[in-house]
Amino acid sequence: MSHPSGHAPVVEMTGITIEFPGVKALDSVSFRLFPGEVHALMGENGAGKSTLIKALTGVYQIAAGTVNIDGKAVRITGTDAAQKAGISTVYQEVNLCGNLSVAENIMLGHEPRFGPFISWRALKAQAATFLARLHLDIDPSSKLSEHSIAVQQLCAIARSTVVQAKVLILDEPTSSLQQAEVDELFAVIRELRDQGVAILFVSHFLDQIYEISDRITVLRNGSFIGEYMVSDLPRLQLIEKMIGRSGAELEKIDKTSERRDPQQDATPIYQAAGLGKFGKVENVDITVHPGEIVGLAGLLGSGRTETARLMAGVDRPEHGETSLRGKPTPINDPKTALKNNIVYSSEDRKKEGIIGDLTVRENIALALQSLRGVWRPIPKAELDTIVERYLTALRIYPANPNMLIRNLSGGNQQKVLLARWLATQPELLILDEPTRGIDIGAKADIQRLVVEQAREGMGFVFISSEFEEVLRVSDRVLIFKDRVITDDLDNAEHTLTSTDILHAIAALTDAKPRDAAQPATHATVTKEHNA
Amino acid sequence: MTAPTVTTTPAPQGAGSPQRSWGDRAAKLWHRMTTPSTLPLMGTLVTLILMLVIGQMRYSTERRDFVSIKLFSNLFVDNSYLLVLAVGMTFVILTGGIDLSVGAVVALVGLVIATLLPTGLPLVIVLPLAVGIGSLFGFMIGVMVHYFSIQPFIASLAAMFLARGLANVVSVQSVGIDHDGFSALAGWSLKFGEGRDIWKINSSMLVAVAVLAVAYLLLHHTRFGRTVYGVGVGDRGNAIQLMGLNAGRTTLWVYVISGTCAGISGVLFAFYTKSGFNLTGIGMELDAIAAVVIGGTVLTGGAGYVLGTFLGVTVYGLIQVMIAREGLDSWWTKVFIGVVLLAFVLLQRAIARKKVR
Repeated sequence: MSHPSGHAPVVEMTGITIEFPGVKALDSVSFRLFPGEVHALMGENGAGKSTLIKALTGVYQIAAGTVNIDGKAVRITGTDAAQKAGISTVYQEVNLCGNLSVAENIMLGHEPRFGPFISWRALKAQAATFLARLHLDIDPSSKLSEHSIAVQQLCAIARSTVVQAKVLILDEPTSSLQQAEVDELFAVIRELRDQGVAILFVSHFLDQIYEISDRITVLRNGSFIGEYMVSDLPRLQLIEKMIGRSGAELEKIDKTSERRDPQQDATPIYQAAGLGKFGKVENVDITVHPGEIVGLAGLLGSGRTETARLMAGVDRPEHGETSLRGKPTPINDPKTALKNNIVYSSEDRKKEGIIGDLTVRENIALALQSLRGVWRPIPKAELDTIVERYLTALRIYPANPNMLIRNLSGGNQQKVLLARWLATQPELLILDEPTRGIDIGAKADIQRLVVEQAREGMGFVFISSEFEEVLRVSDRVLIFKDRVITDDLDNAEHTLTSTDILHAIAALTDAKPRDAAQPATHATVTKEHNA
Repeated sequence: MTAPTVTTTPAPQGAGSPQRSWGDRAAKLWHRMTTPSTLPLMGTLVTLILMLVIGQMRYSTERRDFVSIKLFSNLFVDNSYLLVLAVGMTFVILTGGIDLSVGAVVALVGLVIATLLPTGLPLVIVLPLAVGIGSLFGFMIGVMVHYFSIQPFIASLAAMFLARGLANVVSVQSVGIDHDGFSALAGWSLKFGEGRDIWKINSSMLVAVAVLAVAYLLLHHTRFGRTVYGVGVGDRGNAIQLMGLNAGRTTLWVYVISGTCAGISGVLFAFYTKSGFNLTGIGMELDAIAAVVIGGTVLTGGAGYVLGTFLGVTVYGLIQVMIAREGLDSWWTKVFIGVVLLAFVLLQRAIARKKVR
């Protein structure tokens, strides 16, 4: 298949193989990238997308295979070599320095200099123009860590446009962005594409893939599945190729919306009245019954995560009463919560979830061990059974309990975290963005699991930025707006739609951002996420 | 293949335009001074001023003020070697590392000078050689940390034992330095004022100030310096590496700088004591670390200022002076350093907590 415009590919990777201890991350994968196209790299979590990208950007060394850039075979020895070859990258997780200013983060490595000395004035001015292209109105001399993750992500993207790259790689650039920011980003992507830049785009949002890309390469389990023009590949087929299962199985995701019976009349597992903490959330009333899934919906920074943290004692509530199974019980720290069978899975997988240098098995054992105390180690046989059960039940890949968890893909790490909490047999599981940045297959697995557990009587609080997902699993949806609950929507029959939620949120939304002190990234939305 | 180029575009409106009002500037300066990253530095400054005020009230006589140029002159005659040491240490600590070898290197360098000078080797060879010994030790630690991923604590501990051991091999006794050129260099000074108010600038002070100035330029105005800050956060330099900068080489250089500073400091200490001794500088590395931390640099890396280190050394020196004025035993210096250090670490902790919230 040749490119319609007849260009030669700017990047051509053939027979790429990469091995990690215990797993073949890529097995003879081929990949082409043409100038002036947006090329989507698709695959489930663990399919090898990030690995292929890191092979191209010189983070990982290639065990076998060749990389041609502009028709010439090159050996990319490191990240700086990749940049010199004209490859610019925005990685999945924000990989910038929080202690440096926004301007430095954007310009470092390409800073204007007088002799050896950085010209600060020029640096700030140049950084400001790159920010302006993304319509990001923040002070270039402010510290990067002062900004929300979404803004940091946009800064990373601004950085990638500093070098006039031939190839721009965007690995999940939109996972923490609001729609308006995605639109700005796409405008920039189109502009660059028209200038002849080849853009490699990875996203788990299918809508975005179909909106922006020209061509799709699909990977599965580290192998190359195929390369297709977007117009030749309808969504359903794409998903089938990604997960290697038929469409019928996918239907199951929707089957999860079958009516269950939350035991509304039973004593609530968890009941909070007037829960709050200054500057976080105010006067939150939440009740969770056995077998009930309560969805929290709202914009980023509206108080969803803050509420979850108060519920689980991660942050100490300043006021409010909580009672568990009808008995007043204050929850001031995570340990108390754990002892009372309430667990919280954080949205920040990397920092507050996994412990990268421990194995999958050890990561699963953590919460259970902490519940039992230091002096009562879990017998090996018992732990083996538990680990084995969850590896199979959650379809964790690779199913090797002795692998370091940091070598797993994001979706599989998330599944391990779920296993960790489920192993403690909680009564209330609070899931904060459990499916962020993971693919449709893993997402379906997780959603199915939540519904199954609920059927057996476990209570859930489910937080997600994707309203569809909240609606699919929840029996009740609480709407957050500006740090208070503004609405409580019944979804027992699964009749709610995203539009309903949007209306509920919009019902009280002023036209202008409320908190003017925060640097607004866009006229319609303020968010403050990393408080 | 065209090389990637940096697009240069005109400055946007607003940034750096000269017609900003003074009120604006003052507000901005105030804001900058009270951000979490500068608060420790402000803490040091306030402590210093407080100490000077107390000193002025307690020790001034009718004829002479406590706070005078002479005070600072004496302070830096006594502590220029420590300033150089602490400046080098600042680089290392900014990357989240530590260098425990510097005190032992000071001893080794002093003894090497004391042994080589009587052999007739000229000063212009001996002094650079002495400094080079420091650089070599730094390089060694850097290689261990970067290429073999050994923790800085262990790597520099090994280097410390090696340097201290070698110092003992050279001599187990104090060796006096009796060399005309050396004495001239050590004793050179510019004198100002008259009578009892006489104060001076000596060669050690000039060297220390030069080291400080170079370090400031390097840290705050070069790519290398900014990379040093970057290595201190973000996945042990991973972020810097992914940004296409060379984290590994930076780590290596940081230790070379610290080692070189230890070498220079060894020369200055030899100037100061006019001898070499194998037991010199035991615990001196800890004094340097204390001065760096008091100066507002965070031990976990990524935040701090080399000028803060200057303030830290000044506080350290001032404590010594005040203890002496009180007529207390010199061990009380350690007690007060301990107290001040504890206060500053707690301050850093409080700021870090506030940031998290």
